[in-house]
Amino acid sequence: MFLVSEIIGILAINLILVNALGTSTLFIASGSRKNLIGTATVITLFTTAGSVCAYLVNSVTDGRFEKFTLLFYTLAVGIIYILSLAVLYLVGRKHFDTSKKYIHLSAYNCAVMGTLFTITQNEAIQGKEFTLSEYLIFGFEAGIGFIIAAMILTVAYKRLNSSSVPGSFRGFPAMLIYLGIISMAVYSLK
Amino acid sequence: MKNNRPTSVLSGLLGDNTVLSACMVISPVIICGDTVKNSIALIYAFSLITFFSVLISSFVPKKIPYTVRVITYAVISSLVYIPVRMLAEGLFPSVIERVGIYFPLIAVNSLIVHQTEVKFFRMKKMKMTASLVFYILGFDAVMLVTGFVRELLAYGTINNRMVDMELLISGISSPFGGFIFLGILCGIYRKIRSVTEKAKNEPRGEADVSCQ
Repeated sequence: MFLVSEIIGILAINLILVNALGTSTLFIASGSRKNLIGTATVITLFTTAGSVCAYLVNSVTDGRFEKFTLLFYTLAVGIIYILSLAVLYLVGRKHFDTSKKYIHLSAYNCAVMGTLFTITQNEAIQGKEFTLSEYLIFGFEAGIGFIIAAMILTVAYKRLNSSSVPGSFRGFPAMLIYLGIISMAVYSLK
Repeated sequence: MKNNRPTSVLSGLLGDNTVLSACMVISPVIICGDTVKNSIALIYAFSLITFFSVLISSFVPKKIPYTVRVITYAVISSLVYIPVRMLAEGLFPSVIERVGIYFPLIAVNSLIVHQTEVKFFRMKKMKMTASLVFYILGFDAVMLVTGFVRELLAYGTINNRMVDMELLISGISSPFGGFIFLGILCGIYRKIRSVTEKAKNEPRGEADVSCQ
């Protein structure tokens, strides 16, 4: 029961199905299983590490310089971007050329930047300061949400791109309508 | 064979539309494009931020590594966002709150951060500026049409003015309605494109041949 309620909880706050964040990246990722695993893993790393940075930024600024929040988050994600490329180069030099595309794709993704702003927005709505662990959990859940949405799309990817779908709607339009129907189902869970 | 079709500057408006063809910047269209007011606020933000960010970013030297260039583009657009946001608070005070996180997210859209080098920086400055304007107009047109149709169908209003509508579909203002509407709009756009391209590629009639 706990697992079911957790899955429903993650679906109900899903960044793609509820907030449409990172949809275009999802379309690229769901094309192949390899891309899906690579992109989803890196996006989860970025949302988790990004949420820690958002915590630090929000703790330091403490509600001041609201207009500069985007700039601070951009710089924070930029640091994670460079660090993750450096770590990939040092740890898996063999796979660097084939794997770096996932980092490039994920760095300034709507799903990542959207997660940071959503945590900050939730904090303002609830009127209390979140702890570091709450930031971490939210960032990680956002990444898991992306993986779930990507898996839902991967299941239907081939059919939505097959010749049985009218030419004008094949691919991207059919995937949008499909996500809309899934989003409608998730909407009823809220 | 060299392609001489005059698509390079105007393509952003229809042929290579940012939203309908390239599948970029779709989240604000889906979530916030449910009223004309929201659409106008996002059009304002997207147009100014994208125009000035791409223009300033075009001066970033190509010699520096790709990753640093991407970060620089994102930082430039984040800096452009600040005055745009300050001005928006005066122009659209009620909409800013409704649009929420999508306002800053417009500044780090993939057209500025990732696609700008491929789409614009290979052109000369004048041609790039003209092309950029049409890419922006392409987004603006989709945003406005989406806001107009969804507001009309969901609330029975146009820019907050009541219209005599008998059937309202309230679901179209929600995110799932946005997904479905954009999917249908994209399908219609593709159909129109395929019909016009077919007409262009059809062999000319006898009258045309005789003129040659």
